[in-house]
Amino acid sequence: MRNLLNFFLKYGTWFIFAFYVIVSCVILFTYNAYHSSIYFSSANAVSSSVYGASSEITGYFNLREINRDLEENNARLENEVLNLRHQLAELNTLISDSLEFDNSKVRYDYVPATVINNNVRHPKNYFSINRGSNDGIRVGQGVVDHNGVVGIVNVTGKNTARVISLLNETQRFSVKIKNTDYIGSLSWKGGDPSVAYMEEVPRHTKYQVGDTVVTSGYSLSFPANIPVGVIMNRIKGADDNFFILKVRLTPNFKSLGTVRVIKDNFKESLDSLSQHDIP
Amino acid sequence: MTNAVIRYSLLFIICVLLQVLIFNRIALFNVAMPVIFIYFIIRLPINLKLSYVFTLAFFLGLCVDIFSDTPGVNALACTLIASIRTPIYYAYMAKDDITSRLTPGISTMGFIDYSKYLLSFIVIYCFLVFTIEYFSFADVKGIVILSAASSAITFVILLAADSLIPVKSIA
Repeated sequence: MRNLLNFFLKYGTWFIFAFYVIVSCVILFTYNAYHSSIYFSSANAVSSSVYGASSEITGYFNLREINRDLEENNARLENEVLNLRHQLAELNTLISDSLEFDNSKVRYDYVPATVINNNVRHPKNYFSINRGSNDGIRVGQGVVDHNGVVGIVNVTGKNTARVISLLNETQRFSVKIKNTDYIGSLSWKGGDPSVAYMEEVPRHTKYQVGDTVVTSGYSLSFPANIPVGVIMNRIKGADDNFFILKVRLTPNFKSLGTVRVIKDNFKESLDSLSQHDIP
Repeated sequence: MTNAVIRYSLLFIICVLLQVLIFNRIALFNVAMPVIFIYFIIRLPINLKLSYVFTLAFFLGLCVDIFSDTPGVNALACTLIASIRTPIYYAYMAKDDITSRLTPGISTMGFIDYSKYLLSFIVIYCFLVFTIEYFSFADVKGIVILSAASSAITFVILLAADSLIPVKSIA
């Protein structure tokens, strides 16, 4: 017994060392990106208040570029509204419709949010936003900025949420080439934060360099036709039947400012359908 | 004693905040990422009990991990580097009573020896942390480039920090 006690006293320091190494390994390997605890993420109370305070200052950076992008977007949307209004007026004179348009079937709602902490330098990047479950944010909702898709909500706190960035090697997005039905799966492979890869593109796909890649609408997180990036060039895949397209991402991940979280009002009913899956 | 505790607590908080609020945003040429918070471990007194060093290093790493969403990566690397801190120190300093009571710094070790100690520490740490984080992800070449570039930028920043902070203000 005494020997045992001496042994522990002599090597006690190294037991502490082993203990910390084991604890860090447990955190490192058992950590699941999809069901992670809020305390170990940047959405916890302490870190989100620190990031919130710092974004009070850094929120003013890049405002010039963000403003320019928004102006452009605004002009485009205004044009579209005018065109649609014009079309609607024309159609109304052609066919007078007695049915009223049902507004209750609007599928998507947008919640604006500010990015308070952003990362692009890890293989698995996340960022935090200043909206949480109190604002109706739920895990799995898509996040876009004015240039395109940026991520999917992963952990929600009361007033903050953490988002898996598109720049995360574990996250895949269902995408297609705009105005076609050629589907692929988009993933980021580290390094340059403006380049990702569209994989599993069938061999017969027709495309042009410079074509836009948009969301396919097959996932519950994003509606169809939200821009993601622009095709740069083609890379041969491991399989002869598929190839890989290199995509330049349209959002500027280094300066994410204001983003919008997409709330899908049909999600519950769509989810309830999947309960009838044959196991 | 109490004074030193307060100073080191302040250094701990400053290191974590500087890292997560400023230096985490920097990635020069997409490869050079400054890892400055290890300055806290570098500046702990050499005669501090090893078990304290492990504990402080682990929680330092964990704090940075929580803020930057890299669970376990820095905690593991910090604990590992804490275990070889003393051997790195004595690789450049003679082992006697005087050196064992010192706090590593330019004024206590001299510029050349301190630079060597600092550089060895940073290179080993960067290699550890990038190996852990990119283990299943990048090739060896990628990890070496990342470690080398990040070590260089961290070394320059920490050497500059050392010239700014007088040794007496810490220990």
